[in-house]
Amino acid sequence: MADQEFTPRAAFAGLADLAPGPASFARDAGVGVIATDRDGLGLATVALRKGQRESLTQCVRERYGIELPQGPHRAAARITAVNGAAAAGIAFIGTGPEVWLATQEKGGNDFAKSLEREIGGMASVSDQSDGYAVLRLAGPKLRDTLAKLILIDVHPRVFKPGDVASTVAAHVGATLWRLPDGPDGAPVFEIAVFRSLAASFWHALAESGAEFGLLELRALA
Amino acid sequence: MSASRNGAAPRNRLPKQGLIDRSQVLSFLFDGRRYTGFGGDTLASALLAAGVKLMGRSFKYHRPRGVLTAGPEEPNALVELRSGARREANTKATVAELFDGLEARSQNRWPTLAFDVGAVNSLFSPIFVAGFYYKTFMWPAAFWEKLYEPVIRRAAGLGAASMQADPDTYEKAHAFCDVLIIGAGPAGLAAALAAGRSGARVILCDEDFLLGGRLNGDRHEIDDSSGRDWARRIEAELRSLPEVRIWSRTTVFGAYDDGLSGTRTFGALERVADHLAVPRAHQPRQRLWKIMAKRAVLAAGAIERPIVFGGNDRPGVMMASAVRTYVNRFAVVPGQRVALFTAGDDGWKTAIDLADAGVPVQAIVDARRDITPQLLDAAKRIQARVFSGAQVVDAHGSHGLEHIAIRENNGRLTRLAADTLAVSGGWNPNLALSTHVGGRPGWSDAVAAFVPGDMPRGMSVAGAAGGSFALAAALREGAAAGADAAAAAGFSNATPPRWRTDDEATALTPLWFVAESKAKSFVDLQNDVTREDVALAAREGYRSVELLKRYTTLGMATDQGKTSNLNGHAIMAALTERAIPEVGTTTSRPPYTPVAIAAFAGPHRGKHFKPTRLTAGHGWAHERGATFVETGQWLRAQWFAAPGETNWLETVSREVKAVRGSVGVCDVSTLGKIDIQGVDCGAFLDRVYVNLFSTLGVGRVRYGLMLREDGCVMDDGTTARLAAHHYVMSTTTANAAKVMQHLEHARQVLWPDLDVQLVSITEQWAQYAIAGPNSRRLLERLLGSAADISNTAFPYLACAEFSWRGIPARLFRISFSGEMAYELAVPARYGDAVIRAIMAAGDEFGIVPYGTEALGVMRIEKGHVAGNELNGTTTAADLGLGKMMSKKKDFIGRVLAGRPGLADPDRPSIVGVIPVDKSARLYAGAHFLTSGADATLENDQGYITSVAFSPMLGVWVGLGLLTRGPQRLGERIRAHSPIRGGDVDVEIVSPVFFDPQGARLHG
Repeated sequence: MADQEFTPRAAFAGLADLAPGPASFARDAGVGVIATDRDGLGLATVALRKGQRESLTQCVRERYGIELPQGPHRAAARITAVNGAAAAGIAFIGTGPEVWLATQEKGGNDFAKSLEREIGGMASVSDQSDGYAVLRLAGPKLRDTLAKLILIDVHPRVFKPGDVASTVAAHVGATLWRLPDGPDGAPVFEIAVFRSLAASFWHALAESGAEFGLLELRALA
Repeated sequence: MSASRNGAAPRNRLPKQGLIDRSQVLSFLFDGRRYTGFGGDTLASALLAAGVKLMGRSFKYHRPRGVLTAGPEEPNALVELRSGARREANTKATVAELFDGLEARSQNRWPTLAFDVGAVNSLFSPIFVAGFYYKTFMWPAAFWEKLYEPVIRRAAGLGAASMQADPDTYEKAHAFCDVLIIGAGPAGLAAALAAGRSGARVILCDEDFLLGGRLNGDRHEIDDSSGRDWARRIEAELRSLPEVRIWSRTTVFGAYDDGLSGTRTFGALERVADHLAVPRAHQPRQRLWKIMAKRAVLAAGAIERPIVFGGNDRPGVMMASAVRTYVNRFAVVPGQRVALFTAGDDGWKTAIDLADAGVPVQAIVDARRDITPQLLDAAKRIQARVFSGAQVVDAHGSHGLEHIAIRENNGRLTRLAADTLAVSGGWNPNLALSTHVGGRPGWSDAVAAFVPGDMPRGMSVAGAAGGSFALAAALREGAAAGADAAAAAGFSNATPPRWRTDDEATALTPLWFVAESKAKSFVDLQNDVTREDVALAAREGYRSVELLKRYTTLGMATDQGKTSNLNGHAIMAALTERAIPEVGTTTSRPPYTPVAIAAFAGPHRGKHFKPTRLTAGHGWAHERGATFVETGQWLRAQWFAAPGETNWLETVSREVKAVRGSVGVCDVSTLGKIDIQGVDCGAFLDRVYVNLFSTLGVGRVRYGLMLREDGCVMDDGTTARLAAHHYVMSTTTANAAKVMQHLEHARQVLWPDLDVQLVSITEQWAQYAIAGPNSRRLLERLLGSAADISNTAFPYLACAEFSWRGIPARLFRISFSGEMAYELAVPARYGDAVIRAIMAAGDEFGIVPYGTEALGVMRIEKGHVAGNELNGTTTAADLGLGKMMSKKKDFIGRVLAGRPGLADPDRPSIVGVIPVDKSARLYAGAHFLTSGADATLENDQGYITSVAFSPMLGVWVGLGLLTRGPQRLGERIRAHSPIRGGDVDVEIVSPVFFDPQGARLHG
């Protein structure tokens, strides 16, 4: 049998058609929420090994230009002359005591392997690139839509760029973080749910957003 | 009425004024008859405008009833709205916003509202007293359920449900704010402005569709404009503030717990589309809000109190403030001959407003002897006859008020023709939300009413809700409360705004009831509770207000006694010669007004009641025509019917034979997978499993069993060692979350000294079991050079991680079916591609996909225990796994597993059973009895846990738990299943039915 490569299937593939519709009056209102499928984002759980706090902190600082966040915060890499391209697109998201979700743009399954090489002795690394389905969420009606899904105050005064929350969205466990604002100055969030729940979560999101305008699912540019 | 039906101005509509939109003519049906109203009307105001006074029949006596109020406290005018599946019962006509095409029907009448057969109950009213049903329908006892209750329920009750699924959607949403303001009357608007100007995040809720509260129903001056214009102006400013949210049509129905920071949770119902015939696309009918507020201001106003007198339920007897609201807000005069019966100054406003609107007032009956000269002057101006120190003792009229009887202060009884009687007994602060978390109201002699006692933390009260009934006080208190609440929430720059307003006379001498009245005097109009019922309760000893409520139903049902409780309690106080505060008042609990169950369910209905988990191979299985079964939240393929197969047993038997004959594939992605890493992971596993894992070699897998602390089996599964400090545990699908919790508890609480990290990786990997004698050949084709899986390189219970066509893969040689078998894991995004690749590679072997049912048949054939046996009551020994319990180490559950009860050799233990008659069917759940023994609990010897038709043996086989089972092989006993299939004689055999030597496993 020829060793052809396997075609991956995104967690949200085919779900855009399941948005409630036709969105007649919603369409008039314009796009209320824009959801971008973050398929391909490298994700890994990083759990601190005993007694390795300092060395991990230092290692993450040197390799990625990241101050390992304490508590529910996200810290993205600062590219320096030392870390070069290795840190590009990497962020650490605090999800629990001594546990982080590390992400890398387009890192895929290789990201966990590279993390393992860099910090393996100081932390246990588990690949989650396929375990979580991640959406980037933006749009003028996002806050009103999220209000129907989560019991977290995402008002800009309260939930600032870099803030993280582990919560439940319509009975689906979810991790939410706020990215730096978009070019239009509007808030941008990402939300991660277990992959198997992608369809249920999408249904809840699409229903919640339908009133405010067409929910658009975009592939990552 | 004919005029209104032709679209001309209804007879009771004033030619101008009112907060209605006369350009918007709305047509609606009431009891099949067509009427028109205007935009801004309620159903009640439009019906009153059309001269309709009779709106319903009462609960018990079926007496004709009209509208009493102009708000949510309405006890009488309950109607059914809409038709078909959207039909809803018990909507108050006083809050139902009129829309074009509205259909409404009166309730509780048959055959018609005007002629109601049930009204004969009124003739028997001497026997229909409180407690009548309990006293009368006692014997024979069986008749209660079969006859009495159904008949009574048909005769009584309030409206009927549609019995169809609700076609509309409902939402649940969450909101956060610094200051929540409950009520948008003068106090609430002032509070919202004070808080809003400070920059605080404010939510202002009002149940009405129009902000302003009493400012819309009364005539006031604030600064140099009318009260209603002031309300519009404040609303406009509030709408310009970006952090102020204004929710009209929204009832805050409950106050709930607070957090450490003082933030309190409130429940609110937004009637998003109740004022539309059908919600717009994607618009919910109603939205249930959970509001988290740092501070809250209760500005819910007050509810006017009736006076209890004879015939006080006649259509036409209305609250004085409601009459003002209909006149001033809706431009509707409820009648042509109006009289007033009041106990205080406030009621006089009604007479003045009516007269100013051109409606002559026949009489002002004030129970007080001393009336201020200002009021007497006003009466003179409007040419109304004043009866001071007088009382209305009776109201007459069959379908509506016709005349009243007045006992004058000189003792003379005067009859006066009137079609409308406005009644004012004072005001009760609307304090319900102050009591929801345990606060008790306190009595105020000053206003003759209960006022909020200790307010809940973080909540303040302003205006009439706190007993300050004058407008000036409401504005002052509202502004101060809003500013204070904002300051407490961290916005200290708030300065309370000030306004000038007219002085009001609010003196009152409370009059609860007219003692002299002989005719039926209603305390609670909704439940038909009369003054005599309260007296009966007092005579029979039900004197506590809580007992009074339950005995007479005073204050129950949809209005919860908003207009009746205090009067009832005051009557009880008079009867028992106690003061009202001594008698006390009943406790108000959420919700303040009824909330539809659908709103609490929100979008979680039908299939969306809970989320569904789908494996990466779900789409493929769906294409293959799989039948799915719910396993917890997961959907798993149960079987894959082939064309021509007519029943599941045929399908499942084919799948089993194909696996055992060649090869099959099953999606096992749903099994729990836990990454266990760290220096001490081996030691950790030794402590959670009964058997040893630290000794397991890298690249090897072992079956493990874990106990709960109490010694019973918790879960089983295989755990693989991928590296020195890295294991991967598998759990059963059902117990995945529970095992993860159990391990986290052990790691964090029991042994925090161990270096162990746990991560659920269930979702990361799509995993397929490939089983059958051709499984290795298939995998060799599929994997190619990526891994050496020859029997020597990769024997039974081996595992490996490798890169396969550019993706990470894991392979485990484990078997649940008893065949040579492997489990192949790939990142979930490749799960769809890989199952298709497995099927393609297996084509030449005739591969079949198999589901959970075939999986179950094969494990029963092999005597493997599963959920039916791991049922929380069994020990390792019960399951024949006692020998796995290591004696060299300690582990969770070891000590308690040694308890005499759990170590009892007589405990039911695992056996196999086959029917003596080979054609007989076995049923799980059948109990074991020795032949001839009676089917009693004492003779019970255990039961069958799992059954399957074994296609390999051609007979039904079962696993069961039997007293001293393993010692009884060959014995014949009875499997007793009285509810399914009766008794079957069975033979006790080894639980391993197929390939007992396990030769097939090793290939």
